[in-house]
Amino acid sequence: MLALLPRLRRFALGLLHDPADADDLCQMTIERALRARAQWQPGTRLDSWMYRIMRNLWIDEARARNRRAENLVGEEDALGVGIDGGQEARLGLADIDRALSRLPGEQREAVLLVMVEGWSYKEAAEIVGCPVGTLNSRLVRGRDALMEILEETA
Amino acid sequence: MNVTREQVAAFADDQLTGEEARVVAAAVAADAALQAEVAAHRALRARLTAHFAPVAEAPVPERLQRAASGGRDEVIDFAAARAAHTPARQLAWRRYALPALAASLLVAFVGFNAWLRRGYAHGELAGALDHQVAMTAPANSPVHILLSFRDGAGQYCRAFSADTGSGIACRDERGWRLRDLSGASVGQQTEYRQAGSSDAAIMEKSQAIAAGPALDAVSEAAAIKRGWRR
Repeated sequence: MLALLPRLRRFALGLLHDPADADDLCQMTIERALRARAQWQPGTRLDSWMYRIMRNLWIDEARARNRRAENLVGEEDALGVGIDGGQEARLGLADIDRALSRLPGEQREAVLLVMVEGWSYKEAAEIVGCPVGTLNSRLVRGRDALMEILEETA
Repeated sequence: MNVTREQVAAFADDQLTGEEARVVAAAVAADAALQAEVAAHRALRARLTAHFAPVAEAPVPERLQRAASGGRDEVIDFAAARAAHTPARQLAWRRYALPALAASLLVAFVGFNAWLRRGYAHGELAGALDHQVAMTAPANSPVHILLSFRDGAGQYCRAFSADTGSGIACRDERGWRLRDLSGASVGQQTEYRQAGSSDAAIMEKSQAIAAGPALDAVSEAAAIKRGWRR
């Protein structure tokens, strides 16, 4: 599992942009995985199982955060953990981080799993728990939005 | 010929197979706009990959390493957890383990001899080392590849587990040289080892030998494709 940590940190940072939050998510993922390790199915990959745990924890956190903020907007935004422009400037995020943070969560995770983490569409769809076609279209929408934002800021 | 934007993306990510791959490839070859779309997709992918690469190369904070070791300094052993929940493996262990438990050492007959030739992997073991993707073998497979990594000399190495024990093999020009075998000397008929400790020990040794993190799915697939040549 130690060998997976660099990749899990990378995925967490893509999801959350703040390094401290990302490492917290990593730690939660590790702890959850250790507690649930008997549930890991023999013959399946440990890495995709842990990605799935991280992704689900991230969704839970995002929902809880939105509830706390009483910021009930559309379903799309419920997965979005948006941060406003002021916060972005304060955090001094690089262009790519800023652009990613503006994507709805379901598009952000699709882009990260395929384009950064190198999962196949099928594997990424299994991690997310959606059909391959859905993953494919979220990837395209996320990619288009990302390119548009990056062009604006270029 | 109409192709969807999803198909073009899947083509750019090498996700299409068979007839669909041929149709989309032909459409892209015939259309400059589609070629530009494929190029933009791949450029974004390369940019994102480069942007996040330093994170995966940075040292992992100690608190996360500690968490992953369950607060101890040893490796948490998923393979052992799996073995404990796999009836077939449990049975195999019990057959060897029960008579030896009194002595708190277990004497395991080593079936490795059929898999070894002059210190190099042979037969099923060599096949698994060549072709098996880590952590994907079915439960009844004789060999389970646990992970792949490179050692300090840049050689590919793979940790594996079998009913008879576990080990590390590294690829040189002759084949998969057995570097470690559950603490037993290679080629012996009998080995002594602590019950259940074998996979954990091998994972710890892998970490000691590895220069950098374990290979991810993509690098592993690429290495398999290249026949593990450096």
